[in-house]
Amino acid sequence: MEIFAALASVLSDPIILMWVFAAAIVGMVVGAIPGLTASAAIAMLLPVTFYMQPLAALAFLYVIGKSGRYGGSIAAILFNTPGTAASAATQIDGYPLSKRGMSSKAMKVATLSSITGDYVGEILLIAGVGIIAAIALKMGPPELFAVYFAAFVVIGSVIGKSITRGLASAALGVLIKMVGLDPISSEERFTFGSFDLSNGISLVPLMIGIFVLGEVFSQLEARGKPIEQFDDPDNDDARARNRLTWAEYKPCIPHVIRSSFIGSFIGMLPGLGSAIAAFVAYGEGKRRAKNPEEWGKGALEGIAAPEAANNAVSGPSMAPLLTLGIPGSIIGAILIGVFLIHGIQVGPTLFLTQKELIYQLFACGLVGIAAYGLIGYYGASFVGRFILKIPTDVLYPVIFLTSFVAAYSARGSMFDVLIMVIAGFGGWLMKCYDFNPAAFVISFVLAGGAEETFRQSLLLSDHGALIFFTRPVALGFLIVGVVAVVARARSLSKQAKEASLNDA
Amino acid sequence: MSSRTLNTNTVIGGLMTLFGLAAVVASMGINPDPDGGWGARIFPLVGSVALVILGVVECAKGLKSPPPVSTSSGDRGVMGRILALLMLSLAYVWLIGKIGYLISTGLAAVGALMIFGIRNPIGLLIAAIVCPAIYHVIFFVLLGVFPPYGEWFEPLDIIQGY
Repeated sequence: MEIFAALASVLSDPIILMWVFAAAIVGMVVGAIPGLTASAAIAMLLPVTFYMQPLAALAFLYVIGKSGRYGGSIAAILFNTPGTAASAATQIDGYPLSKRGMSSKAMKVATLSSITGDYVGEILLIAGVGIIAAIALKMGPPELFAVYFAAFVVIGSVIGKSITRGLASAALGVLIKMVGLDPISSEERFTFGSFDLSNGISLVPLMIGIFVLGEVFSQLEARGKPIEQFDDPDNDDARARNRLTWAEYKPCIPHVIRSSFIGSFIGMLPGLGSAIAAFVAYGEGKRRAKNPEEWGKGALEGIAAPEAANNAVSGPSMAPLLTLGIPGSIIGAILIGVFLIHGIQVGPTLFLTQKELIYQLFACGLVGIAAYGLIGYYGASFVGRFILKIPTDVLYPVIFLTSFVAAYSARGSMFDVLIMVIAGFGGWLMKCYDFNPAAFVISFVLAGGAEETFRQSLLLSDHGALIFFTRPVALGFLIVGVVAVVARARSLSKQAKEASLNDA
Repeated sequence: MSSRTLNTNTVIGGLMTLFGLAAVVASMGINPDPDGGWGARIFPLVGSVALVILGVVECAKGLKSPPPVSTSSGDRGVMGRILALLMLSLAYVWLIGKIGYLISTGLAAVGALMIFGIRNPIGLLIAAIVCPAIYHVIFFVLLGVFPPYGEWFEPLDIIQGY
């Protein structure tokens, strides 16, 4: 019932509504620009939100994340260049439709499916998050440490081409977090006598470096690649061709419902994210489709399935963040920074201390979905044409300069700016060599809590580390972590064998 | 898996191992708890050892990989631009500390635009003036962030009449 009160509160606050609508537009535009992701925009805008009210700040960034996921489909359908990794699955059927002069119809299917998926995910989050929080409150330090361990291992091993480099990214994130003073004994760690390092490495410049400056480095590689757009001609025939009828959308509905639940389930698992959800939903949709031969050649269902799954991830990915303090995605990791800067402790007690704020955030999410749905349904083509007018050779230098001032603004520290530059180049190197920047950042965020719960567990225990094996829930999560690595190793080994057989 | 990934396994594994070993040495320099427990040392040490093990595994994979393929001239051109942007970034940070935010941002704007292929002198001149002005107004005037002052010379002293 809290959600209705929160919804009424949000709808009666014009300032919050303004931020939500602004976020819907910003997210859509940023998501539609090839190479620029919602995560990069959120990281860049993070310092600006320090000067806003907590709800406005959180809602602004949360809705950018939602709208950005949808915005990726604009570039995928109109330009044959996925704006985000998740929209690559939408491109498979979206671009063939554009080539046949039906880009508006494809965008309408993407919009309807995205908002349906997003609403399913958000409603599941609202309905289930309180239950998860109540369970999380009963967990002690050993159980929480085991959850952290499983998150480290799953995030490090499941995404990317290499398990060893993914896990190494997670280990590097832990090591970088250890720089500074030990929070319990105030012992210096990895400071090498530097005063700046004794304050530790701040999350904000690290994220701006990896996701914003790192992307500018990547864009130097992609520079000069032409973008092709198939624009719908403005005549009666084209308008009739692009009108979406109920008969056309009806076959998409089972795919949208199934994909929404696939996306919601994948969203709850830390680290997997929208791209995996979109491709799983596309594969599952094609397998169950009545017209599988049309998939890949411009089937409307082939747009509906990945778009619904891609956006359904958004809400449930907040569940581990809000209940356990474990960010399930890059956007979740960035939102932790907002919570912390506003003095809000994320974790099991959040629903005791900030229940009203959290439900208002969910309400902003519901309003935000409607906002980007309306703007996208009627204005996606306009956004696409607007993106084409933005010269990337000017856009990325501007983003480059903004990353410096944004990193400085967080704490007013030039050392943070230097950290941002190092993280930016490091982030680009990580992407070049198949390391996992997302695992690095999420592990950096998790490491503090993991260390605290680990040491608390040892203090509670009479038998040292055996405490993790004698408590069933803790043991269960440890096993989940080990099973995830083994399963991923087997899957990669199978893929390598198949590839070598194909080569032979 | 791409051929570049296969060929670089050994080098990357070696670097991971070396970094991990350095971190192990640094971790051993952290004082443990006075009562003899692991205390502040345990997490850095576990992270470092994990990195060493993963580096060795990566190296072992690399030894089974085919020899590296030579880099094309196109790749070298991109690498040159990336290194130029890195140098510009470091120079920008240094310049902010010496001559303040306004002038260094104007110079960095020109440098970044040139690296991205913009050569129009009027456009570069406009960027050199407009970029610092816009950032100054948004961050240091509207948001009230205290600007970084230059050690050698600070134009804000003149502009604000100090």
